[in-house]
Amino acid sequence: MENARSHQSEAIMVSIEAVSRSFKLPRAGKVRALDEVSATVRQGEVVVIIGASGSGKSTLLRTVNALERVDEGRITVNGIEVTNPQSNLNRLRANVGMVFQHFNLFAHKTALENIVLPQTVVLKRSRDEAVSRARELLSRVGIPEKADAPPGDLSGGQQQRVAIARALAMNPKVMLFDEATSALDPETVGGILALMRELADEGMTMMVVTHEMKFAEDVGSRIIFMDQGKIVEEGAPTMFFKAPDNERTKEFLNQIL
Amino acid sequence: MEYIAQFYNLRVVLNYADTFLQGIWATLWISAVCLVLSIVLGVLLAGLRMSKTGLLWRPAAAYIQFIRATPLLVQIYLVYYGLPELFGGVGILTETVSGIIALTLHTMPYMAEIIRSGIQSVDAGQHEAATALGLKRHQRMVLIILPQAFANVIPTLLGQTAVLIKDTSLLSLIAVFELMRAGLTVMHENVMPNEGLLTVAVCYLLIYAGMLVLSNVVQRRLHGGRYQPA
Repeated sequence: MENARSHQSEAIMVSIEAVSRSFKLPRAGKVRALDEVSATVRQGEVVVIIGASGSGKSTLLRTVNALERVDEGRITVNGIEVTNPQSNLNRLRANVGMVFQHFNLFAHKTALENIVLPQTVVLKRSRDEAVSRARELLSRVGIPEKADAPPGDLSGGQQQRVAIARALAMNPKVMLFDEATSALDPETVGGILALMRELADEGMTMMVVTHEMKFAEDVGSRIIFMDQGKIVEEGAPTMFFKAPDNERTKEFLNQIL
Repeated sequence: MEYIAQFYNLRVVLNYADTFLQGIWATLWISAVCLVLSIVLGVLLAGLRMSKTGLLWRPAAAYIQFIRATPLLVQIYLVYYGLPELFGGVGILTETVSGIIALTLHTMPYMAEIIRSGIQSVDAGQHEAATALGLKRHQRMVLIILPQAFANVIPTLLGQTAVLIKDTSLLSLIAVFELMRAGLTVMHENVMPNEGLLTVAVCYLLIYAGMLVLSNVVQRRLHGGRYQPA
């Protein structure tokens, strides 16, 4: 099998420098969701972020396309500074595809229209061009026959396929997956992971938050393990799973493997 | 037979057919204008009400409470007699224009609150997905959030529209010629309350029935044929 790592180049796609973010919670008080986190993602890399719930992994992912603002630190994606208020965030977001745990398809639009809308509105593509691209992508993700179905008529797995197609339609430079398989039936998970693996094999730069350790080990170029808002361990999958350094990592791996 | 004719003389009513038709027409178009204005302005008011800036949401909330807390008739008189004082005296606005302004000012906050609940009923993920795809703030609102918000609250909006149509009857008190005024005319000219008022009631009922049919058509469209009429 061709390995995702063979696509890596030296170009830095995402750079996260000393990023911090705190939340005020009604009971727990101030929580530091990200505590001076730094990370780099090179072009073609698949960086898998793992950790327990509340470790900050989703927050980290969401800062990359500024769905979450940061208190301190600096993030650049493909040379554009996300954390600079002067940057055109909407332009940047079109370059960063995001796939959510709960799919978030536009409920009032058909599968096809979900993929057409952002192309015509954000990229100003003609309707004909957007429709043909959408049909091509629906075939690509394996459900061309569902073009006219509203999201409510699709299974979870099918909805996630449409969501992936919708993100790909924007020709993103980076794809972010935020627990993309966590809300799916066990028998559907494999199909979505296979699709993600295909994307990785084609050289897509990806940041993946997941609980699927097999995927992390097989597809990840690098694993980042987070705990309490910090990156406590980072390395190649073989190193990470066979010989973790950190006590907290060992504990986590013991619990889940 | 005679007894019935005494209670409700259809011949008299038919003599006034033109008057009633004129009244129905006025009620319909005044309602339609107020409906469109109060929904468009209601969206803006809902936007202000949902703002996180105190300077925006506090006045909006105060206005909504003021309208809810005061009688419509007082509001109509305030607009008709009071508003022109600000702009150089009574008579600057016609009765009909005053009526439309008053009813719009009155209906808008109710529409705004309905629209606000509709917006809040749309899943936060819809907004996030639209943001992540690079849609600008107004594009998210107009293309993603509002269509779903309206679809969710159509039955409530229709209820409020029925209230609006009935509220136009109060404009008869500032001499706007609409359905209620038509009924009052018939009643006063003939001293025949039933021929006037019963006819008016039946006309309102027919307007309401027509609106229900229309709303079922609209909802079937919006829900892609899966809507079951109540």
